[in-house]
Amino acid sequence: MKSSTNKNKHCACQCSGASALQLTTGALVTGVAAFFIFLVFLSGMASRPKPAAYIKKLKNGHYQLIVDHKPYVIKGVCYNPIPIGQNHEYDWWSDPNKPWLADGKLMREMGVNTIRVYQCGENPEAVKKVIRDLYKLYGIRMIMGHWLGFWEYPCPGYGENDFKERVKKEVLSMVDLYKDEPGILFWVLGNENNYSFSGQVNPWSSDEIDKEPDPQTQKFMRAKIYYSFVNELAREIHQIDPNHPVALGNGELIGLDIAAKFSPDVDLVACIIYRGKTFGNLFNSLKATFDKPIALTEFGADTYDAYLNKEGQNMQAFFLESQWRQIYENLADNKEGAGNCLGGTIFEWSDEWWKHNESDPESWKVHDTESNWSNGSYYFDIRAPKNMNMNEEWFGIVAVSPDLENGINKRIPRKAYYVVREFWKNPTLGNKNKKKDKK
Amino acid sequence: MKKLAMFMAVGLCAVAFLGLCFAEEAVTTVSVPTVATPEKPKEFVVYKDKGARDNHFIPSGWMGDYGDIKMNDQYIQNPHSGTTCIQFVYSAKKAQGLGWAGTYWQNPPNNWGSKKGGFDLTGMTKLTFWARGDKGGEVIQKFVIGGIKGAYPDTAEVEIGPIELTDTWKEYTVNLAGRDLSYINGGFSWIATADLNPQGATFYLDDIKFALDSSIKPETKKPENMPFYVYADRSSISNHFIPSGYMGDYGDIKYDGASTEDAYLGDTCIKIIYTGQATQGARWAGVYWQNPANNWGTVDAGFDLSKATKLTFWAKGAKGGERIEEFKMGAIMSEYSDSDSASIGPVILNKEWTQYAIDLKGKDMSYVIGGFCWSTNIDVNPEGATFYLDEIKYE
Repeated sequence: MKSSTNKNKHCACQCSGASALQLTTGALVTGVAAFFIFLVFLSGMASRPKPAAYIKKLKNGHYQLIVDHKPYVIKGVCYNPIPIGQNHEYDWWSDPNKPWLADGKLMREMGVNTIRVYQCGENPEAVKKVIRDLYKLYGIRMIMGHWLGFWEYPCPGYGENDFKERVKKEVLSMVDLYKDEPGILFWVLGNENNYSFSGQVNPWSSDEIDKEPDPQTQKFMRAKIYYSFVNELAREIHQIDPNHPVALGNGELIGLDIAAKFSPDVDLVACIIYRGKTFGNLFNSLKATFDKPIALTEFGADTYDAYLNKEGQNMQAFFLESQWRQIYENLADNKEGAGNCLGGTIFEWSDEWWKHNESDPESWKVHDTESNWSNGSYYFDIRAPKNMNMNEEWFGIVAVSPDLENGINKRIPRKAYYVVREFWKNPTLGNKNKKKDKK
Repeated sequence: MKKLAMFMAVGLCAVAFLGLCFAEEAVTTVSVPTVATPEKPKEFVVYKDKGARDNHFIPSGWMGDYGDIKMNDQYIQNPHSGTTCIQFVYSAKKAQGLGWAGTYWQNPPNNWGSKKGGFDLTGMTKLTFWARGDKGGEVIQKFVIGGIKGAYPDTAEVEIGPIELTDTWKEYTVNLAGRDLSYINGGFSWIATADLNPQGATFYLDDIKFALDSSIKPETKKPENMPFYVYADRSSISNHFIPSGYMGDYGDIKYDGASTEDAYLGDTCIKIIYTGQATQGARWAGVYWQNPANNWGTVDAGFDLSKATKLTFWAKGAKGGERIEEFKMGAIMSEYSDSDSASIGPVILNKEWTQYAIDLKGKDMSYVIGGFCWSTNIDVNPEGATFYLDEIKYE
């Protein structure tokens, strides 16, 4: 920018030297004024501050998240500190015991620099307090999400304009409220909302979709409507908040080939991935279908061995270390990776005891050991009865105890907490040995 | 004298020096005795002739439809060498209702990994054997070395096949170079299926042995050539992957891989009846074609299908209107994981044969355990669904 300004100056001098005699005084004044306005415009361009957080595409096609002018690897956790005995309706943002203070301290000691929340609380002052406390005290930033009405009864009405307008208003209000908080990292729109395209999960429709007999075409129509809506939101967010990227939340990579056509304005994808030890071809596959950077905003492993019927901290630590290794292998500037990964947020920081049976308040006080779903990728305990090996209440890298400490359930870091901490301190990648050999 | 004295002195010194040297050598010899290392055996015989002293392992592990197998290990007519060979008669009558059978050579007999009995065959680089069919055309699904699990598991599992036998003796070689053969209890085995041998199979084996051959190098995996069939016909030697991965309400699934009801091509097709009774309470069901059978990512056995750009298959419903939620390949994720996945669906089947294609362009097809899969559920098929598949292949 500096050199181009000089070049223009030089050009303008030549013009004024050669033609000055032919110019009237008025024209001269006008010309000089225009030149100064131009200079002011250029200097304005040169000094415009960079956004607080933005994504930079490198020459090699890799992506990097830049925060405060420096590359930023998201080393995060999903955060939802529901106390034992409460369920998801509990407004922890307004908890007088401020669980985020104890958690933030433990997180900082581990090396966490980011938390992900799925949706902010209803009291803006309380939300701002949490964002500020975590950022000012511990340097931890927040990825703030919005469900986009996915859990609304009877269904998310993405086929209806009224519904979309209402959701849009909510989202823009959220952005407007918190965009100036230095602790905000970026926005995530939706979570696994794309699973509704099949019509099996939270099914929604429209008159046009109902008329279509082919279910594959129906699926495409839903995807087109939803991803177009997300794109519209992303564009409007960019207008009111140029300082933070906007992510498309997505379950797996499902539907992203369609998002490539209808959500070009999102800055990144924020994916939920449960593939066990490896993410497989995830990063390259994304590059081939929708060339956007990716943050893994939900991944991890539970710590309950459903086969042995006891806690298995080694199992959880093993999977998490392996997952982080692959995240690092696919960060920008790693020659052997896809270079499109920005980091991730582990699911999750602490156990949530309400999840197994959310309709029974008594069960919220019990750490249930019955598995909720099956996933063969977590192969250590897949031989459990009926292959049910995933224990929703046991995903925390920090256990919670019924004992209270400063008014909150006592936090007990699990092995994964320490293993990931050590990995972040000294990331050992799969290709390390090769490099050693070369030396 | 002086010269003589000098000569004698030099001579004595020399003798003394030499003596010292020899003494040193003697000491050295005593302190580190040289033990002659026995020459490493260059071969390790599994079967040479009935009763041969150097035979190892016992053909004791009869598997699958074991009632379909008859063995004569002293068959004297036309052995490949020596005086006897082994005759196997596989009737394919499905005595145990499984549709396959096989025999493992074990040590000690009937050791499925519960006892320590394996041999250390480190150094061997190949296993060779001679085989022939009674008529020619008999198909052995695979010959396997190692692979017994249990408390004392084999350190390697290597297989070749399917192999279509000729009616004359032919030598086959299994490359073992680079494999960990430090503990092998399952010295040799064969497996045959009723699908590939509807009329049964009589075949002969002889001169089975491990050998050290320094010219054999570790095998590097090569991409498979296209087309690469999952299913061509019941008895096709081109078939790969086994429809073994039953999921969800597996009790709702009836699988017939040899249906003769209006096959699209060849003499048979696959007929699947999904009863939609939610037998296991899952309300959905599906089947994965895996390699080998029941491999949910616990066995390192993916095919390299990098040359494939699409997976095609033909399908039809018995009535038309049956809905399959997903046809898929890949996505088995475990200790060993498929390198990618691709799918289409939901698909509403026509009553007439229709070809479908799963686009694989841009996919990483370098490692595929789960070759094909379908799944559906009771909500979209409340009355269940009967449907047919044929000519499933990678192209």
